[in-house]
Amino acid sequence: MGQPETTVRRKISWMHIVLFAFATAISYVLAVLSSLIFPVLGAPGVSALYIAAAIYVPLGIWMGLWGCLAGYISCFFLGLYPSGYSFVQSFIWSWADFIEAFMAALAFRALRVDPDFSPKRPAAARLLPLFVSTGAALLLIGVAIQVLWGAKYGEPFTTIYVALVYIGLALAGVGIVMGLLAGHAKTWIAHILGIIGASFGSGIWGAGTLTLWNLPPPLPAELFWPVFMGWVLGDLIVLSVVSTALLVALTPVFKRTGLLAKGWWA
Amino acid sequence: MPTVLAELIGVEARSRRYLGLHVLSKFLLPLSISLSLIYARDPLRALALVAVSLAACAAAGVPLSALRKYLAVLMSMSAFIVLAFSLFTQIPGRVLFEWTLLRVQAERGVFEWKLSLTDAGLSYAAAFILRILAMVLSATLLLATISDRDLVWGLLSLRIPFGACVAASLFFRGVHMFASDFYTIREAMMARGVDFERTPLARRFLLYANALIPLLSLMVTRSYEVSLALESRGLSPTSRTASGYYRFKLGRADYAVIAASAALLASFAAWGWFA
Repeated sequence: MGQPETTVRRKISWMHIVLFAFATAISYVLAVLSSLIFPVLGAPGVSALYIAAAIYVPLGIWMGLWGCLAGYISCFFLGLYPSGYSFVQSFIWSWADFIEAFMAALAFRALRVDPDFSPKRPAAARLLPLFVSTGAALLLIGVAIQVLWGAKYGEPFTTIYVALVYIGLALAGVGIVMGLLAGHAKTWIAHILGIIGASFGSGIWGAGTLTLWNLPPPLPAELFWPVFMGWVLGDLIVLSVVSTALLVALTPVFKRTGLLAKGWWA
Repeated sequence: MPTVLAELIGVEARSRRYLGLHVLSKFLLPLSISLSLIYARDPLRALALVAVSLAACAAAGVPLSALRKYLAVLMSMSAFIVLAFSLFTQIPGRVLFEWTLLRVQAERGVFEWKLSLTDAGLSYAAAFILRILAMVLSATLLLATISDRDLVWGLLSLRIPFGACVAASLFFRGVHMFASDFYTIREAMMARGVDFERTPLARRFLLYANALIPLLSLMVTRSYEVSLALESRGLSPTSRTASGYYRFKLGRADYAVIAASAALLASFAAWGWFA
């Protein structure tokens, strides 16, 4: 007979709060740098390569809602300065980054995954983000072409849409198989789901609140698709390349220091 | 105590009287401008809101040189908005200019992509651009008049748990700390022969990504040190500390600013409702 299992109630400590505050500060600094170095012209605060996402999205996986809050607050201040959105617009728009970290955190918590990013086949781990991101990007471009022109004009837009969707799905499928081979299969599958969910979820809210649903939207409704495409493609690249590298390098540190949250807060 | 914008770019409101107001009044005025934006749907109302925002900035002594920092934002957004109303949509009205960019014979009709400029499109674009100017002015007014101490005292006066107040304070300290860390790491990379100016964009992106690992490692180490310092003083995140060192009181000037903010919002709402 083994020892009776004891459950330890994990509490929020100063370490969670301080790390969250510092992560928010780093995210803000990187958000400002990204929106200055890689801007989506005409949509301030939107970056084609939003490196800040590579901080708060992994933090969401490691520390749950602390990462989501870091994303929200850094984006809120980015909205005020240097983007120049009003307080209300920024308050509404910033939920995009909360959603981004939340989707990744949700993927791991819903699948009850204990993150283990140690790659057994490093080549597969390096290539899988490339395949998944390219596949998802082609899928997105195909759907956009069909929605904007294919439904109204038919050929040749329908053929382009069908071709892009098939190629995109095939590449994403190869990426998922690579995820199964890269190491701990459940971890990598949750990571892939997190990347796709985070990019599309935050893209819909972010581009939507910039062009359609804000008080008032700072940009015209006609710009939804250009902003949405720039947002999602940029996020797919950053999350698959940079956040994967950070998750592989720093997950052992978070486990060792006891900062890895099992639940949403601790 | 320097304001948020002073710490970021060295721009601060000059009016000591305005800076001495309660944080609630300094927060409500920009908030009422940003809420009034909802009703500024045509160029005239948007222009009126720009005038009000400029007057508020002038009263607070916000130097207009602060706007120079937003110039790139204003220019790119304005250009993008005009392009949006001429390239991606056609607003019915008197056509001023038209040029077909692409023509594709499709299965169900002809797909044409036109650059089309109408008088109604220009009017929409003008309203959007003026709203952006008002929005930038309201953000400048807020950031140039509120300091991080204002925010922390404001949170304490609302009896928010101590942990949240410490987090707010650490965020503002952290911005400067990590901005300087980031430049230190960048300089270390340059000292090892990395030329950021001549590096292609894709390679530069990977270089910046590599800089994140030492930055995050530093973050974990610093968090550990600060947490230990807080714990060694016997402070808990949920404790409610005595905030008796400084008492917030609303003065007559505060009531006047709050009333003016409410009147501004009510007048724009009425103008929007009856227009």
